Amino acid sequence: MDFLVFIPLFRRVEIIPPMANQQAAAFEKQPMWAGGRSPFNVSYGKLMMWIFLLSDAFTFSSLLVQYGAQRFSNVESAVTTKWPDPASIFNHFPFMHGFHLPLLFVSVMTFILIASSVTMVLAVEAGHRNSRKEVQKYMLYTIVGGAAFLGCQAWEWATFIHEGARLDSNMFGITDQGYKHLASVSFGDHFEWEAGDRTWGPVPFAALFFIVTGFHGFHVFSGVVINVVVYIMTVRGVFERRGHYEMIEKAGLYWHFVDLVWVFVFTFFYLI
Amino acid sequence: MEFYTKPGEYDPINYVPHTESHGTSELWRTFWILLGITILDFVIYFVMGPSGFRNFIFIFFGLVKAYYIVGAFMHMKHERINLALIILVPTIFIIGLIMGLLYEGSAISQVKC
Repeated sequence: MDFLVFIPLFRRVEIIPPMANQQAAAFEKQPMWAGGRSPFNVSYGKLMMWIFLLSDAFTFSSLLVQYGAQRFSNVESAVTTKWPDPASIFNHFPFMHGFHLPLLFVSVMTFILIASSVTMVLAVEAGHRNSRKEVQKYMLYTIVGGAAFLGCQAWEWATFIHEGARLDSNMFGITDQGYKHLASVSFGDHFEWEAGDRTWGPVPFAALFFIVTGFHGFHVFSGVVINVVVYIMTVRGVFERRGHYEMIEKAGLYWHFVDLVWVFVFTFFYLI
Repeated sequence: MEFYTKPGEYDPINYVPHTESHGTSELWRTFWILLGITILDFVIYFVMGPSGFRNFIFIFFGLVKAYYIVGAFMHMKHERINLALIILVPTIFIIGLIMGLLYEGSAISQVKC
């Protein structure tokens, strides 16, 4: 992958001279809030990444709380059918068409994201030891994991749309007959929807699925782009010349946050 | 870009405090814990029938996973306590948002019936 050094990206390299380090050491002997140093003992960039992640946490929690409010306001009544049980809808697995495998595919997606999270944190750890080769290796694994997750999500969306879900309508108002049909099959059995199993259901179910997983998927996409940029910078030796691998740490914070959001999307959209 | 500091002079904006590696054993342990909890989620979903208690277990497991991701992967355990507090304390407001909107949601469902 050494051909990447020819990509003219991020040419400017700041190198912190040893003189500055001595002056910083003098500042670090002063009281914490006396000025001239970060009272949080992190760099400016890392602190700002944390603040951004806090604001992003509010964004995602507002979306997930909206899902909860919609779910609580759409109970079974004369005007609306029951809120559909998500695991009976997301029961498909690639190359296993027609089989009832609820929750299996999304668990695989969760595993992919956790695995790419651990390779990311191993890259951060290698960065602390200034080991460029290891950072490159683990960043590459992380990028592959992120791309695999995006592929899984694209497949999930395609299947859901193929089954009849739209942003403005929901074909998953499961009738009593549909629930009886679902209860009659067990894990791994053959299953297809029959006529009369489904009717129009609560619209926010499909709409919020597309909005929230779309928002999360776009975050994963941005994370993969950030990881690719950071990977190219590592290959070009930018961080080696700079003397520290803090950029890996900042990209890692973002990537772990994406994983954290997925934990809650998985809990609220698929499990509950 | 113009900086007020001269080259070679200490600049608090660009200065990066030195960080130490804490080894990989904690990270791998966290990975196995996260994987184990995810498998447990999968098992509980099929073993227990749908109930409020099962939902409570899933949310509790979600919070445990969040603790391990933020603490170990995002390095929050090893940060200074004031950084941890300014990031974690504001999320208390989310609990208020959840309680308020779930209450309103169930009130709307009463009106719809």
